[in-house]
Amino acid sequence: MHELRPWLTLIFQRRRRLFVGALLLLATFISGIALLGLSGWFLTETALVGLMFAAGIQAYINLYVPGSGIRFFAVSRTVARYFERLYNHNTVLRLLTDIRVTLFNRMAVAGHRDRGRKTGAHWLSRLTADVDALDTLYLRLVAPAALAAVVALMVVVLAWILFSLQIALVLLALLALAFVMATWSVYRRTRELAGQLNDRQEHLRSEVIEHLEGFAELTASGRTGKHASRLIRHSLTLSKEQAVVDAQVGWHLALTQFLINLSSVVALWAGFELFQSGVLSGPVLVLLPIVLMGLGEVYAMLPDAFGKLGATVSAAKRLNEDILPAPAGSVSGILSATSDHSELALTATDITVGHPGSAPILNHFSIEIKAGERLGIVGASGSGKSSLADTFAGVIPPISGNITALPCAYLTQTTVVFEDTVKANLLLGNPEASDAELWRVLELVELADRFAREATGLDTWLGSGGNRLSGGEARRLVLARVLLSNAPLLILDEPFTGVDSETRDRIAPHIDHWLEGRAVISLGHGPEALLPSGHTLHLN
Amino acid sequence: MSSPAQSDVRHWLSGLARNSRRWVQATVWAGVLVGLATIIQMVLLAWIVYLGVIEEQPVSSLTPCFLALILVLVVRAVGQALQSRFAARCSEQVRKHVRLQLHEHWQSLGPVALSDASSASLTREWLDHVEALHGYFARFLPQMMLSVIVPLAILALVFWLDWLAGIFLLLSAPLIPLFMALVGMGAEKVNQQHFETVSRLSGQFLDKVRGLTTLQLFGQTEQASETLYKRSDQFRLITMKTLKIAFLSSAVLEFFASVAIAVIAIYIGFGLLGYITFGPSSELTLFSGLLILLLAPEFFQPLRTLSQHYHDRAAALGASAEILARLSQPATGSGRPAKLPQTVYDNTVNLNGVSLSYGDGPAVFNNIFLTFKRGETIVLTGPSGGGKSSLLHLLAGFINPDTGCISVFGQSPGAAPFGWLGQKGFWIQGSWADNLRMTSPDASDAAIEAALRKVGLADLLDSREQGINSRIGEDGQGLSGGQARRLSLARIFLADYDLILLDEPTAGLDATSEICILDALHKLSEAGKTLILSTHHQALFTLADRVLVVSDGEVQNA
Repeated sequence: MHELRPWLTLIFQRRRRLFVGALLLLATFISGIALLGLSGWFLTETALVGLMFAAGIQAYINLYVPGSGIRFFAVSRTVARYFERLYNHNTVLRLLTDIRVTLFNRMAVAGHRDRGRKTGAHWLSRLTADVDALDTLYLRLVAPAALAAVVALMVVVLAWILFSLQIALVLLALLALAFVMATWSVYRRTRELAGQLNDRQEHLRSEVIEHLEGFAELTASGRTGKHASRLIRHSLTLSKEQAVVDAQVGWHLALTQFLINLSSVVALWAGFELFQSGVLSGPVLVLLPIVLMGLGEVYAMLPDAFGKLGATVSAAKRLNEDILPAPAGSVSGILSATSDHSELALTATDITVGHPGSAPILNHFSIEIKAGERLGIVGASGSGKSSLADTFAGVIPPISGNITALPCAYLTQTTVVFEDTVKANLLLGNPEASDAELWRVLELVELADRFAREATGLDTWLGSGGNRLSGGEARRLVLARVLLSNAPLLILDEPFTGVDSETRDRIAPHIDHWLEGRAVISLGHGPEALLPSGHTLHLN
Repeated sequence: MSSPAQSDVRHWLSGLARNSRRWVQATVWAGVLVGLATIIQMVLLAWIVYLGVIEEQPVSSLTPCFLALILVLVVRAVGQALQSRFAARCSEQVRKHVRLQLHEHWQSLGPVALSDASSASLTREWLDHVEALHGYFARFLPQMMLSVIVPLAILALVFWLDWLAGIFLLLSAPLIPLFMALVGMGAEKVNQQHFETVSRLSGQFLDKVRGLTTLQLFGQTEQASETLYKRSDQFRLITMKTLKIAFLSSAVLEFFASVAIAVIAIYIGFGLLGYITFGPSSELTLFSGLLILLLAPEFFQPLRTLSQHYHDRAAALGASAEILARLSQPATGSGRPAKLPQTVYDNTVNLNGVSLSYGDGPAVFNNIFLTFKRGETIVLTGPSGGGKSSLLHLLAGFINPDTGCISVFGQSPGAAPFGWLGQKGFWIQGSWADNLRMTSPDASDAAIEAALRKVGLADLLDSREQGINSRIGEDGQGLSGGQARRLSLARIFLADYDLILLDEPTAGLDATSEICILDALHKLSEAGKTLILSTHHQALFTLADRVLVVSDGEVQNA
């Protein structure tokens, strides 16, 4: 459970909102219970007075107070419910934002290496699911559980005042047992399975993806049917296990409701002794059991929420592992800058390139690149050129050796287009750039016409992951973004991936010209994939 | 994919319900049991109060009633537990059935048409969308029936007790369908809006996380965080505007339930006092009065529960629409596989007057005739887009010709297992052995090792401590493109296929992988296999018995 602590701390930063929301929820619960309780009291009172009237006995009954009380609670229940839903929904949406922004900020200060290689689509979808699991923490778990406890205690105090301490204590015991049943007990019984279900489902997901990716081979070997029935078997097992959790929750809910109804019966039974000894009036005797039955609604949402707590805790655990470790050092894009007037743009001395914990990719690598020099690096896929580029740019530190470099702009091998406008995407490269400069750099990569045709020009929305662009267009856009930077050193990893050869041949000389006087390291799988270079290294 | 009509989606869902009717019915029966137990509970409670308070009977004589009450509570609890137990299993068969249906559809589409959709979205349909059907069958459908049965039972009892109070409830009864519609509209709106907000928010968040390294490199993480916050806040404000209206509909239901209780309480109170001189109220006692009051909230409870389950319906409808759209997607290459007149074993691969076109596009092939002999190695070359891949897909049976027929050693294409090497090559998370056993489940360890050595993966294998049982991605790096393709080739070595089809086996590979693959193909050819491969690579031409140029719908000898 301690896994939830950082998230609960985050949620409780909005203490006042949570408090107001809880008060509204409390008002809703109390109105509902009071409406029924007061009505029951009123009926018994009128029945008794009615009997006296019938017997010709003079009696007095105040109809005004209970009548208006009943009307008041009927309205307050509706109104409180409406505003409670509205207010708490607003709170939840704020918390959604808080959680995401905080997560992002923590990930942003942690270096690339701390994130490890967790960047694949699989990891991202899991991250989404985990964050979603935390969204329910307040409205489904914290608030209802706290309020169920508060309302139950209020009812116990009411029993003490109206009935006796003894009865109040018995009720306290029953209601406390029901509370444990609806919360801790459900959690304990489902914790393990609920926590695993998520993992199992993710495992099945990757199996299905593999099935689809290998569909041609499986079809050729005549094994799609066999393989698919295995997947269906796995999914059926998963359904059955989910059913076990659901059934557990169901039993706990039934038991909780039983205990609450039982407390109502106990209150009535014990109350009769007091009634017959004259300590208690008939209407008051009826009031408490009805109020107790009303508690059922307050407790009803707990078992389901606590049945999912196991999954929430394991989601929190994964998030904590992913992003909470103290940041070792931030990525600034450069390791240690040499002075701006230096003759050398980059110096690498006897560096070993690789990812910690696995075999080094390059050993004893040294290089000096002068300001304004052009260097090409050619290597096959898997030869380590992207790791070398990462190391030059300071994304991953060298395992050993030293690198000093001027501030650099780095075009990564993967094309990253943000779900935003053309302008916002380009301005990342140089936040001070004017619109004219943006158009100029778009011209350079032959994208200016493409966006000039759009009615919104630079404000054209690029869609999720830039899906409104073709692969080649997206590559040229991110290339333009790097070209916009004023850094004296550029590192371009596969600058022309997905760009057809004719376009590439047209734009490469222009880019070369634009970058005159700046040092450029371009990396690619063959010489044709590079910018024109002074000399070229071949990696093996 | 066009989205199907709402009515089709509902029709499809109700068709599925037949698969799990037993469990849905059991759930409803258990729910009815709970409803009846609740009614009896209230009857006993009101009766005990009446006997004790009005008749002033001693507590001891009430004991049997109290014991009966506790027994009813036990029945109610058991019913409730059974209801959720049955509900949990309501959609098991439905989910299995739909997954099977989807998979059969994948098979009928074949690998080529299937690759039009991303595997992530296909997986989401198969896994998450099917899962979203559960709530509809387990919660919404049974509750829909219960919200008719239980209120009717209560109404009948109340009418018997006091017809005027019954009329109060009945007056709200015609409103019930209206409530249902209102609640439905509201809940659907809330659900839709909330879902949209969360997914847009997640989209924004993921977008930034995905590009985090880029943001860090440009030193723009703080600005990105601010944008994330601002966008999220905009979403919130828009969502809240809609919710203000959407929540009103459920407030209406709450309001009617509250007002009905208040009206009944005041009517009965005045009736008991004898202030009401008309109608049945003179016969009201504390028993009947209290019972009516206790039953009033139970009359509305099933509807309130239904409104809580409404989002299950909305989620299921959304998911079904997407599943249905996928299922109604027609297979490309519209021709049906032509049945061969008879299965005669022969030693040739034949294309007889084959024509193919995609949709309304120009013909890829127009009436081509080709014959390859067993054991030949055929190289297909020609410009990209000329139809090399289409020819291979036809021979594989992944697509069907519009006209003409194809036979592979006397059988229709794809009828017998064959070797396939696509442009990508693929590997699964798991050991080397797992990867090879995917297509040849019975292969021995020795055979697997031999196959991996034949494709030049010996060095990689030797560097792993557990040999073929070590996991592929152990160093966290996975395989390079060339290694993945060699692994796929090893699968072909392992199985004894007569026909092997290869689509650009060496495109975009490093020199080592290229040599390994050339060498491996040579071995396969030596072993008497029939190889048909497409390539631009001159080096591969040396393997060929025949080189064919595929261009503009024609196939000619080079």
